[in-house]
Amino acid sequence: MTEHDPGRRTFLVRAIVGTGAIAGAELVPAQTTESPKEANASAQSHSGEDRHGAFFNRDDAATVAAFTERLMPGAPGKPGAHDTGVLHYIDLALAGAYADLQDFYRHGLAQLDALCRKRYNEPFVRLNAARQDEVIRALEQGEATEFTWPTAQEFFNTIRTHTMEGMFADPIYGGNKDFAGWRLVGFPGAQPIFTRTDLESKQAFSRAPVTGL
Amino acid sequence: MATEKTDVVIVGMGAVGGILAAELGKAGMKVIGLERGPRLSTADFSGQDELRYFQRQDLRPNAKRQPVTWRASANAAAKPLPILNYGNQAGGGTVHYGAVSWRFHEDDFRVRSQTIQRYGSSAIPKDSSLIDWPLTYADLEPFYDRAEYELGVSGKAGNLEGRKIEGGNIFEAPRRREYPLPPLLADQSGLIFEEGAHKLGHHPFSTPRAILSQSYHGRPSCTYCGFCQAFGCHVGAKSSILVTKLPEADTTGNFKLLTGTMCFRVNSDNSGRVTGVSYYGPDGSTNTIEAELVILATFIYDNTRLLLVSKTRKFPNGLANSSGQLGKHLMAHITPRVFATFEDRFVNIYMGPNAQKHSLDDFNADNFDHSGLKFIRGGQVSVSPADLEGGPIGAAMSMNPPPGIPRWGAAYRDFLAKYFARYAAVIAQTENLPYADQTIDLDPTVRDQWGLPAPRLTYDWRRPNELARIEFLTGKLEQLAAAMGATRYWRSPMGAGAPGAHHEGGTRMGDNPKTSVVNRYGQSWDIPNLFIIGSSTFPTMSGFNPTLTIQALAYMSADAIVNRYKKNPGRLV
Repeated sequence: MTEHDPGRRTFLVRAIVGTGAIAGAELVPAQTTESPKEANASAQSHSGEDRHGAFFNRDDAATVAAFTERLMPGAPGKPGAHDTGVLHYIDLALAGAYADLQDFYRHGLAQLDALCRKRYNEPFVRLNAARQDEVIRALEQGEATEFTWPTAQEFFNTIRTHTMEGMFADPIYGGNKDFAGWRLVGFPGAQPIFTRTDLESKQAFSRAPVTGL
Repeated sequence: MATEKTDVVIVGMGAVGGILAAELGKAGMKVIGLERGPRLSTADFSGQDELRYFQRQDLRPNAKRQPVTWRASANAAAKPLPILNYGNQAGGGTVHYGAVSWRFHEDDFRVRSQTIQRYGSSAIPKDSSLIDWPLTYADLEPFYDRAEYELGVSGKAGNLEGRKIEGGNIFEAPRRREYPLPPLLADQSGLIFEEGAHKLGHHPFSTPRAILSQSYHGRPSCTYCGFCQAFGCHVGAKSSILVTKLPEADTTGNFKLLTGTMCFRVNSDNSGRVTGVSYYGPDGSTNTIEAELVILATFIYDNTRLLLVSKTRKFPNGLANSSGQLGKHLMAHITPRVFATFEDRFVNIYMGPNAQKHSLDDFNADNFDHSGLKFIRGGQVSVSPADLEGGPIGAAMSMNPPPGIPRWGAAYRDFLAKYFARYAAVIAQTENLPYADQTIDLDPTVRDQWGLPAPRLTYDWRRPNELARIEFLTGKLEQLAAAMGATRYWRSPMGAGAPGAHHEGGTRMGDNPKTSVVNRYGQSWDIPNLFIIGSSTFPTMSGFNPTLTIQALAYMSADAIVNRYKKNPGRLV
């Protein structure tokens, strides 16, 4: 189950990359308003939707938060990557189960940064949503010769996969905060039993609350 | 380095190994079983977790530490496959499988002669290595019956001793008696599949599965939780080898299971017999077992690999390979899919056992007239979640959105939000023909965690006969989706030629030592005290899932070993 610590969460939301939550908004990295010392402190925090620090540095966390939010944008009543804690999920996974992908992410993010600076003179997080989508589409379609390893498509597919995992995996892994991803699609989680009535129903399943591990 | 002696050593404790261990143990033979993975229990499966078991493949071999490489042709470079679809623990694939349990059709055992008889020999693609099996359905029927009753399979008969019964699979081969358990309940997807199929004049039925619809042999019935294919069963209602034959083998007092052990060589002497096996222990130690009888019961890659790496001066091309057929005729199921969404209802396809929930057999085998169709054989058709697994990660990873909707962004989010609980996949599972140039051999560069060369697959299903079959079946899937009342349906793109699920071939059985590796009992023609049992011996694959046939063959081989070989060790044929 997820831990809840409102105090630390408030601190973190103020401190770092929470701006990524607003779909289509200009994404201004928080370091412009913070001293390096504060930034370092916040990077090591472990609370809130955008918490990270198990693996990502501050800039990479901001980029991943912004990128994944474009893949699964949040809107009122429709939780997205930020609302479900996708960054936190990926951060923890890269420090653990996916440790062998650390260099894959480092290289991929560096190539993404180079591409954005070359084409737009700005890092990814500073581009507006339409431009960010343009970049993501180029990666998806392999139209980014700036990428060698990982290739643009490998990088896109991996981030997309990890975004879906963070949205929909059990909250024990750090994403799908408060089952927001499951609520979005109407999945009731690890239900131990369904009855004949449940199986034959043409209605949305709503008997019991969503349950996790 | 430890050395021990035993009557029988079995490599691999899955669908085959567990049955042999129990049956030979009961007959008083001392059996040691080697299993590279752990022995888990039902208590290990209490946390039903899509990320761990479906997405990260926790019950399957680790694709990085135990790589299997694939290339589309002998000219291409082989790369490791990202996912390995077989077991990696005691009980093997039956721990995580969807438990779909078919008997093959009568004509599945004589595909070559059936085809020639009905369509002439020109109907068989020239490059195919199509042959008949060295046994008939009638030979195997008693062992199918035994497997269904001993393990526990739920279904409804469609052909009782020749009498066709609506509601069951009327195309099935004749069975002597009903299934031991009634069919599993149909969910909403099964009900609309049935309705749509009836409209088209097809013959739908509840898929037979080794999942208990009622309590049986002290095990409880299915709870329809939906965490089935890719997962271990949290109540033990899935009739896996882990909860059926392994406990039975334990009670014989003649069975010892060594987990965490990797067999790396089958040892042989100059007399032309095998003397036992060598294996790495969990601590990395090198150990030897001397045995009178060696049975290879691993997945098809490892059966072939073990024989290849065990070559000697006497057997320079690998053990059991005087025919030169070892590693050839690799087959795998390919599954064209059509996704369907519904406006007027929820489908909630994540509920209930999730592999091939409801089926029809009208387009499988030679159940329909292929005249003028440009292909032979067919496929089994069913309704399922996107990747035979019902959770949202599976849907997000395996279901391409309909044309016009991208794979990401607000439109994709809204698509998933609206249709995750309102979709079904209609899928076909095709019978692909054997071809001699579809092979398993040793990768020259990639090695696994034990330093053994990785199995290398050379395979591409995209041949004229197979492409024509897939186009035909996909058309049928679209008709079904429409008849089910889908407001929208669309195709899933086909892959780049890589093998799908349920691999067969590599140590094909036959009735001629010059053209096959083993006889009908899985006994090596060259080395009578070496048996190779499993889908690696299948001469052809059927459109049906292989496991029940693998299990029936295991019972048949066990019967022959106990009743004939034990008294008179030598060639059984």
